[in-house]
Amino acid sequence: MTVSIGIDVGSGVVKTALFRVEGGKPEWLARWDARIRQRDSFTLVDESIAFVLEEAGLSRDDVDYIATTGEGESYQGATGHFYSMTTHARGALYLNPEARAVLDVGALHGRAIRIDGKGKVLNYRMTGQCASGSGQFLENISRYLGIAQDEIGALSKKSTNPEKVSSICAVLAETDVINMVSRSIPPSDILRGIHESMAERLIKLLKSIDVREGLVMMTGGLALDAGLVKAMQDGMEKQEMVAQVASHPDSLFAGAIGAALWGAFRHGKLQVLGNFPKAS
Amino acid sequence: MEFKSVKEIVDFCQELFDDIGFARAREWKAAQPGRKVIGYMPVYVPREIIHAAGMLPLGILGGGADMEVIHGDAYYQSYICRIPRSTIEMAVTGKLDFVDGMVFPSICDVIRNLSGIWMLLFKDRYVRYFDAPQNFKDDIGGVFYSNELREFREGLEKLAGREITDENLRNSIAVFNENRRWVNKVYDFRAAFPWKAPSAEVYLLMRAGMVLPVEEHTRLMQAYLSAAEAGKRRMRDNCRVVLTGVFCEQPPLNLIRSLEISGCYIVDDDFMLVNRWLLGDVPADGDPIGNLSRAFLHHSAQTAAKYEPDMAEKGRYLLDAIRARSADGVIFAAPSFCDPALLDQPMMISRLEALKIPYITMQYAENSGQMQPIREQSGTFADSIKLWSAS
Repeated sequence: MTVSIGIDVGSGVVKTALFRVEGGKPEWLARWDARIRQRDSFTLVDESIAFVLEEAGLSRDDVDYIATTGEGESYQGATGHFYSMTTHARGALYLNPEARAVLDVGALHGRAIRIDGKGKVLNYRMTGQCASGSGQFLENISRYLGIAQDEIGALSKKSTNPEKVSSICAVLAETDVINMVSRSIPPSDILRGIHESMAERLIKLLKSIDVREGLVMMTGGLALDAGLVKAMQDGMEKQEMVAQVASHPDSLFAGAIGAALWGAFRHGKLQVLGNFPKAS
Repeated sequence: MEFKSVKEIVDFCQELFDDIGFARAREWKAAQPGRKVIGYMPVYVPREIIHAAGMLPLGILGGGADMEVIHGDAYYQSYICRIPRSTIEMAVTGKLDFVDGMVFPSICDVIRNLSGIWMLLFKDRYVRYFDAPQNFKDDIGGVFYSNELREFREGLEKLAGREITDENLRNSIAVFNENRRWVNKVYDFRAAFPWKAPSAEVYLLMRAGMVLPVEEHTRLMQAYLSAAEAGKRRMRDNCRVVLTGVFCEQPPLNLIRSLEISGCYIVDDDFMLVNRWLLGDVPADGDPIGNLSRAFLHHSAQTAAKYEPDMAEKGRYLLDAIRARSADGVIFAAPSFCDPALLDQPMMISRLEALKIPYITMQYAENSGQMQPIREQSGTFADSIKLWSAS
């Protein structure tokens, strides 16, 4: 039996998952997530570890491997670190074993990853540094529109006449949105326009790594945005792609899940090699 | 100077590293009238001869990550590496005004041309283009190289205004033998316990050896090893890599840190090759020039900076390092526009591919600032080794 903790330090949210793996079967025992909101992310990581251990009724000594991912490279308490494409690939496969591509859309980046049935990364591509097409941009827009974030998806799906938004740059897109508000465009059409613009960029990413069919699993914070998921599916159909888009209520945790599962796998491998101590 | 902790030692080394005005070497020179400082460019020069002349060998490894190059760009075309441009910048802005002579080892056309530029710019200084043989037979390359060493010795005698005796040379050979033994001990320790001796620390420690008197550097390494051995640092689940291709223009310190943070323990490297160019002790008795020559011909590191006439032997040094250090893979990190490193790389890669040894390649300049792509590349490389290889 292996107990592992996966911690995904994102740009906006820290996500933590604790797993017990026995005979190759993973059991998700506890989870924790919190927005960083200008706090020290590694202090939050410490808090999250304490929380999931308590939730699972375990102590630190019971943990075999603590794996970080995302921006957690420098966290001193980790046994090891895995990169986001590696962990999101594994996390997506845990959430849906049919997944053969992952679209991880978080606060600052979008990332398309092509994977095989074992969770091995075959190819990946990221959006550039510009925040357009990311969660941070959408969060800013919802604030301008005075809409709660959890309302975005439902509102976008009600749109009847989406308004086109620049997909090149967040600054231009924000200007577009201000103009739309002054022209009394309904928020639902603005949001749908933004979702279509984001979907356009993300579909380009998928195509750039040769994803044209199979199941594309959405992970990261924006996987929970039903409006974006719908815009993605519509966009792919419009471009005659055979691929299907899927999301999962736990998609936010994909990175943390992947880190925990790879950590458990790695612990087993190191035990066979006989050259590594337990996490402490 | 007494050091108690790793932090104290590393802070001291960092201070030396950051100081591109070489205050420490200036102090050494000013401490006694008549002292002289001889600068040398990276790769290999026989520092024993400079030491035997009573002078301070000073490693000039470029201007680093933060120095702005303005004048230097006027001397060279844009499609060459950065180190000659930043070195000229240092010279024309007075940072090397206390240096009495410069030695340019035979490494590439660019550095050879730099020696010519130096002769034109600083007519009153000692300048030597230090040639190395491409033939390793004692009766051909050995004769040539011994003559080269003798000419170098005579040049420094003239500058020092005194004879460099064989006894002086034998003493200096012994001092550098001792230094090299401690360099190798630090490298061995890092390979055995990479989490106790992070590569950025080891790098700074070795860089200190470029500006300190050799005896002081040896004591510094002794202090570091004893403090690092006693230190309690946490082992991480990182893969083990050999870093190769650097040897001349140095990467930014942040690149070294980034590789380690991303999950790669560097267990061997070719930074500051002058420290480890000669592979063992040089005999400290008998004919010192002959001994230095034979050490160069027959017991020196095989890198892109040294011609290897036997293609079957090409890459053996790297493969031996991978085996000896139990490395999982190789990172080829070469300075942009570095002909020797980049021409050597395909030959090295073909050896690795034949043995299915994982590797990645990357390029840098001494002032490269964007580390995120580097971290992503080396981090995914580490992931692939940890998850999909036998390691």
